Amino acid sequence: MGVSLALELKHISKRFENIQALDGVDFDLRQGEIHALVGENGAGKSTMMRILAGIYTDYEGEYILNGKQVHLQSPRDALSRGIGMIHQELSVMPELSVAENLFLGRQLTNPFGLLDWRKMNRIAQEELAKIGFEHINVRDPMGNYSLGTQQVVEVLRVILSGAKVLIMDEPTTALSPPEVERLIQLIDVLRQSNRSIIYISHFLDEVMHVSDRITVLRDGHKVTTLEKKATNLDSIISLILGREINAELPEVTAQKDGHTLLEVRDLTADVFNDINLKVEQGEVVGLYGAIGAGHFDLARAIFGMYRYDSGTVQMENKPFPRGFSARYAIENGLAYATESRRKSLFMEEAIYRNVMIPHLQQLGRILAPSASYELETALPQIALTGVHPADPFNPVGQLSGGNQQKVAIARWLPFPPKVFMMAEPTRGMDVGAKSEVLTILRNFRNEGYGVLVISSEPETVLTVADRIVVMSHGHIVAELENKNIDKDALLRLL
Amino acid sequence: MTLQTSPRPDAPAAKPRAGLPRWVSTLAPVWTLVALFVFFGLASPSFLRPQNVNNILVQVSTLAIFGTGMTFVLLTGEIDLGISSTASIAGMVAAYLFATLKLQEPIPLIAGLLVGTLLGLFSGIICTRFRIPTFMGTLAISFIGSGLTTYVSKGRTVTTLPEYAKFLGSGRIFTDEAGKGGFPFIVIVAAICLFIAYVVLRYTRFGRYVYMTGASKSAARLAGVNTNMILVAVLTISGFTAGMAGIVGMGRLGSAQPDPVPSYLLDTISAVVLGGTALTGGRGGILQTVIGLLIYGTLRNGLDNIPGIDIYLKEFITGMVLVVALVVNVLFAGRAARDKTV
Repeated sequence: MGVSLALELKHISKRFENIQALDGVDFDLRQGEIHALVGENGAGKSTMMRILAGIYTDYEGEYILNGKQVHLQSPRDALSRGIGMIHQELSVMPELSVAENLFLGRQLTNPFGLLDWRKMNRIAQEELAKIGFEHINVRDPMGNYSLGTQQVVEVLRVILSGAKVLIMDEPTTALSPPEVERLIQLIDVLRQSNRSIIYISHFLDEVMHVSDRITVLRDGHKVTTLEKKATNLDSIISLILGREINAELPEVTAQKDGHTLLEVRDLTADVFNDINLKVEQGEVVGLYGAIGAGHFDLARAIFGMYRYDSGTVQMENKPFPRGFSARYAIENGLAYATESRRKSLFMEEAIYRNVMIPHLQQLGRILAPSASYELETALPQIALTGVHPADPFNPVGQLSGGNQQKVAIARWLPFPPKVFMMAEPTRGMDVGAKSEVLTILRNFRNEGYGVLVISSEPETVLTVADRIVVMSHGHIVAELENKNIDKDALLRLL
Repeated sequence: MTLQTSPRPDAPAAKPRAGLPRWVSTLAPVWTLVALFVFFGLASPSFLRPQNVNNILVQVSTLAIFGTGMTFVLLTGEIDLGISSTASIAGMVAAYLFATLKLQEPIPLIAGLLVGTLLGLFSGIICTRFRIPTFMGTLAISFIGSGLTTYVSKGRTVTTLPEYAKFLGSGRIFTDEAGKGGFPFIVIVAAICLFIAYVVLRYTRFGRYVYMTGASKSAARLAGVNTNMILVAVLTISGFTAGMAGIVGMGRLGSAQPDPVPSYLLDTISAVVLGGTALTGGRGGILQTVIGLLIYGTLRNGLDNIPGIDIYLKEFITGMVLVVALVVNVLFAGRAARDKTV
């Protein structure tokens, strides 16, 4: 073909305990090419990228770099051979200056062996100017700049470390639209200097915009690799999902005339803007967005755990005071289980203790309830949610993920809230546990609670929600009645 | 949804821990204490005499009062480095009010306790309001406390002490007609402090919140616990007990010193941690602290009782034994923790 390849994977397979994450995947990356990698969660994108970056070292198949077969031992090894990775979560040090960040781990020294800051600052400024970011002052702390700028510095750092191939994992999720535009320009500059980029993203219009070729993964298999010019958004979506798509966008809902429980008005913070949201009695609202869209922080803000700048949160027309606490939210009928079970449950404590801890306030001002009272109150809830094994003395940390999630639900039931907020209720669960947890949430709705499910997994909101609110880059971009919506419609909205 | 459940099935889920059974690992500090007791009992003819056991109790009593507050603080995963200075300013204030201003008893004592409590409250507010790590915040408080002590005392030792303080520190009850024998009151003071703390930590909502805050701050906040308030409260408690220890300790030594006793701080932390209360918070308690105090007291006293030991080596031996005891604790606790996370 006459095009030289930067790297090539031949028949790569990788197995985790009981999941075949990748199954005989072929992949190649040309010099000076931007090659997008798309697929659903769990399709194998991150596994492949981690093999490429030297993070996973045991796999089957061949990894060919510049025509020679290699077996990378570590990310450091990968970088020394010219393969750098930009992680979704940035690894910049906000306290250090821009220049210090750029030279992290490979500082320049003067003939006396001391750090040569003057030289580093000069080179940093020059390099930034080369890619059109001369307005950055390299002596300023990194934290003074926006996430978008930090992203740029991180890219440049990896380039300066000698990377010829750049793996970018969801680089734009946390960025605002103008920042995305600037990052895409930077990627163009890199392409012109003959560097190759593997670009992983949920944002398909971005992928269509930036890439030269697109590889679609599904369930650990490679579906196909296409030239961008020879395809379009619809066919990519149907390849991702593995079926023909319904091209029509579902209708936007008319407002229901129910009894409104939770209402959020014009809520604005650094990561979300002008959010208006309602949860009515007896409905499940799904708040959907890609990771980094701001929906998790929004949920935290509604629960009094993330500072917002303006707007109001109210329950049954009673506005919460500014700077209200989680305690206040709980007392006013909100419950919240975060996306991180590790952060919301006490892993070393017994199940029944975990169930009772949010309710000590209601159970007496001074004394803690006796163990027998706690058991009596907690046991029915543990049973109701079907925590298995049901031994209330078991530490939560010994339960499987699904059962931990059930504890996270059960703990709000002794004194039921009006609105139950749950982030990623089914993350990392097998099919059985998933449907159990979602059934519990649906039952809440049937009993007249409001439920707000916050998730980045389209299946979750599609299965459980009556109404779906889609967030992207901190804004609500759509609100849909969950009737005949296809996953592709959601993906398209991001 | 299933409704069948038995309150206590034969715990099929509790995976068997590799290696040691639970009762060995959680009781590691107790075994250390028993081992020390047996060792010193055999090595020293005088060690097990009632008079000497009495001595051990008296020697650890001041530490026990300090340790009560420190246990609260360590359980939340924080630390209080200000206790020895707080103790010295509380003692000095009480002595000054009594000796120089001639205030009536028990006002000097109450004032001393108040000063300690306020210093604790102050460090709590500073640390939470401005998000200063307690390590730094309480370190600053320790300078403030010792600075104030030096200032109030003008560098002089005060030997005219409030009678109440002398009684608390070196008084005896149940003495015979000649005023001999009896039981040292300081031990009772320490026991009361420990007992109250035990009840609070075990049976009150506040106690539960202290553990939860230390186990996971984020989870505690999500459950509606005001973790900042808890932090202020434990530092205030620690300030109060430090003040109490300062007054009682002054009564035992018979004078108010112009400089803090720096070893109080490290002795207290060592004793509490030796008992098995984790520096990372969430695990431990008053019973552990009692065991830790006894280990510490036994070790210090026991070395004094062995004839022919080089006194210049004592400190070194103490250190080595502490290292061994801590390693044993960590090995046992660490094994349990690893089992859970895997």
